Amino acid sequence: MFAEKVIELLKEAERNKETIDQFNDEKIRQILEEMHMLFNLNMTDANASSENKSLWTAVQIRHSALERNKRCLLAYLYNRMQKIKTLRWEFGSVLPTDVRELLSDDEYLWFTKYSTNLASYMRSLGQDIGYNGIDLTENLKPPKSLFIEVLCMVDYGKLELEDGDVIMLKKNSRHFLPTSECQTLIRQGILKQIV
Amino acid sequence: MDPYEIEFIGENRIISIIPNFSYDKIYLICGEFGPFRAGLPLNVPLWLAIMLKQKQKCRIVPPDWMEMDNLENLKEEEKRSRFFTKMPNAHYMVEAKLILGAAGDDIPNSAEIKTIIKDIWDIRMSKLRTSMDALMKSGGSYGRLDHLTMMEINSVKPLLPAAMDDLLRIQMMAKKPAPASLNNSTFSQSGNSQNV
Amino acid sequence: MDLEDDIEFSNDEEEITADTVLKTLQSAWQNERLAPEILPHRNDMVECMLGQIQHMERNINKLPKTDLRASIHKMELSRIKFIICNYLKTRLNKIEKYCIPILNEEKQRIDSGTNYLTPSEYKYAQEYLLNLESHLKTVVLNKVPNNMQTFEMSKMAVYPNLQTHVFLQANETVNGVVLEDIFGDQDEEIDLEEGSQHILQYKPIADLVKNGKVQLI
Repeated sequence: MFAEKVIELLKEAERNKETIDQFNDEKIRQILEEMHMLFNLNMTDANASSENKSLWTAVQIRHSALERNKRCLLAYLYNRMQKIKTLRWEFGSVLPTDVRELLSDDEYLWFTKYSTNLASYMRSLGQDIGYNGIDLTENLKPPKSLFIEVLCMVDYGKLELEDGDVIMLKKNSRHFLPTSECQTLIRQGILKQIV
Repeated sequence: MDPYEIEFIGENRIISIIPNFSYDKIYLICGEFGPFRAGLPLNVPLWLAIMLKQKQKCRIVPPDWMEMDNLENLKEEEKRSRFFTKMPNAHYMVEAKLILGAAGDDIPNSAEIKTIIKDIWDIRMSKLRTSMDALMKSGGSYGRLDHLTMMEINSVKPLLPAAMDDLLRIQMMAKKPAPASLNNSTFSQSGNSQNV
Repeated sequence: MDLEDDIEFSNDEEEITADTVLKTLQSAWQNERLAPEILPHRNDMVECMLGQIQHMERNINKLPKTDLRASIHKMELSRIKFIICNYLKTRLNKIEKYCIPILNEEKQRIDSGTNYLTPSEYKYAQEYLLNLESHLKTVVLNKVPNNMQTFEMSKMAVYPNLQTHVFLQANETVNGVVLEDIFGDQDEEIDLEEGSQHILQYKPIADLVKNGKVQLI
């Protein structure tokens, strides 16, 4: 009754720090209902308390509960907004359907506004020098030329790398190759990664 | 900051390589390098050296400091001194990790070198923990830490600064007068208001 | 491969090399990552680097793809792009988190020509706050009891903690940095020798970060 539901809501949000859960429309509706009920009770008692001073405490308690509910609801929304922002940086401006479904329609609208604002900012970068803007969502991690050591399991033959080098893959030969160019051959069992 | 970001910064350091190819000078944004003459040493940024080594286009020349006698002296000095000794450069750990990782075969005694560098790191980290402890106990809000490298400093974040922040917050709260009424009511009324 | 690496920079005919700009931008990035508040922008450096990248990309496209030099230049470009992107994103994060105080302070700074945000960032901040307010109003505020419906700016505002402790290195000797004693009477004054490293509160050295006399580490 007194701001308990809103705590359940917050606990829900806290449980999954990394991911976003389904927008809890129902709980929010209940909390809002609770707030209106508290408010109405207070209106009645506030008017009566000029004659009956013992009601004053009840009014104050309800008022605190109202403030608490408001504050927690805003916190719930704000916390979800942070997670939604992360989705934009991770998935781009188009969300996968299963993720989209976790957001309320209002939240999805906010997501599109955020996305548009971001795109607009990114486009403006370097405008004065005729640059087409940069996509900030790429290039966020320090670039690394990742190479791994592999053992060739069969007589495969020639492998041409992106930079033009040609490697001869013979059975039992060991090589140091760019990770990105080995993946397929590793999956096919032709190369085996040596750890 | 992320350790990878610090590694990124350390990769700008200049080291010496011996290429197995020949090219004219290259003009990078960060500077001019070359000309590349097969068999002759030249200086390049660490990130470039590692890339060329991985593509098997060069050998890496061990940096001057990366040899056993020098490192043993450094280790002794670090053990002996109360303070942090000045390291060969501000990114010794990044250099060691990358060079020993990609070019262990170019470094004489690479296994022993790896071990002794790790020993030095451990001694320094242990000193750092003791200093942190002393700093906090003295009501720390200020400390001097010359000769610590970015990687070492980063390893005590966020713990040390956060602890010092909290200490400050506690000290400031101890100063404050008793808290006012917790209830900011908009239903202001004359009469017996009670603190809830 | 011919590349002009000297750039005419300011009106006083001073030539600053590309690698100086790069180093300055990298320092700015490092400071921005480590400072609790948003710092004055270095858009001049960013645009200079974007220009260099553009120029370099054109040149790389003239080389055969398999040319080793192409790989080398590409690697350098992706390193520079990383610094730029991470720098700008760090700033956006702060703008989003502290949007209310930033917009308030920036209004005053614009008047005196000492703005910290670029015009694009300022526009972004305004739009962001608008969207935030609109969302909270629609979903919650318009639905709560009448006397609680205002979006209380002062309560919603998040302020950076300027008293947080940071590590720094002195780029030059700075004398007389005052460390306030919170108990009132024993302020300490310290000198930062060139090259020395310290941990202390951000607030007393904020200006030194902004004028380049110290570097956050």
